[in-house]
Amino acid sequence: MKVSEVKVDLEELKKFKIQNTKERLEFIDFWANYIKTHLDEDWSKQQNILIDSQIKD
Amino acid sequence: MEYNKGKKEIKLNRELNKLDRFVLDFVDLLDDYVIVSGYVSILLGRSRATEDIDLLIPEMDEKEFYDLLKKIRGRGFECINTSKEREIFDMLKEHAIRFAKIGRPIPNIEFKFIKTDMDRYSYENSIKVILNQGKMKISPIELQIAYKLFLAADGADEEIQSDKDIEDARHLYKVFNEKINKEEFLIFINKLNVRKRLRFLK
Repeated sequence: MKVSEVKVDLEELKKFKIQNTKERLEFIDFWANYIKTHLDEDWSKQQNILIDSQIKD
Repeated sequence: MEYNKGKKEIKLNRELNKLDRFVLDFVDLLDDYVIVSGYVSILLGRSRATEDIDLLIPEMDEKEFYDLLKKIRGRGFECINTSKEREIFDMLKEHAIRFAKIGRPIPNIEFKFIKTDMDRYSYENSIKVILNQGKMKISPIELQIAYKLFLAADGADEEIQSDKDIEDARHLYKVFNEKINKEEFLIFINKLNVRKRLRFLK
């Protein structure tokens, strides 16, 4: 497919953006609750996978 | 995580990541400082990384700064703005400078003199975070949440909601909402004029 052939449905994308934001906020709430209900060692181990993967040794 | 508001202390048994170790390595060189902004949320569990850690220190004269700079360099950090001592100090008097491990600009410490009343409040009311392998001083949670609401860009609701600063504020609020001082929190909310943004925390 060529760039010129790509159709962009802005209305559809806007709906996606709203849904995506809602899901992100839901995850923040879920994760905050996870932190409150699990041991520090547990949640930090998971968080560290994300952080350590982005920093070079 | 145990937060003792009276003692201004958080005990955190978290496993350290590379960012935490980088920060501990740096703050080990300092007596007086406070860490503010994004890394505070990350240290307290937010699921994101950052390229910089914002750190405030009390103003000092040239000689004191050069002594500190020597220690910082001795630990393998370099100022990524310039290598000339005088220029580093002149910059620091005007704005933040950045320190990183030699040859690795990310992550870095955004290093700034305390200038504003908010900076001073953060410093004077800092919370000590006790980790298994060290300690750090961070800004009060109440101020952090309000400040993060303030930092978020303007725009339509869906744009504001997806801003990382709103997400940081929401994370801290959800984790600490039963423990923060609501009166103090609302004072900052009003001072920063972000009352309308409180809805993004709920």
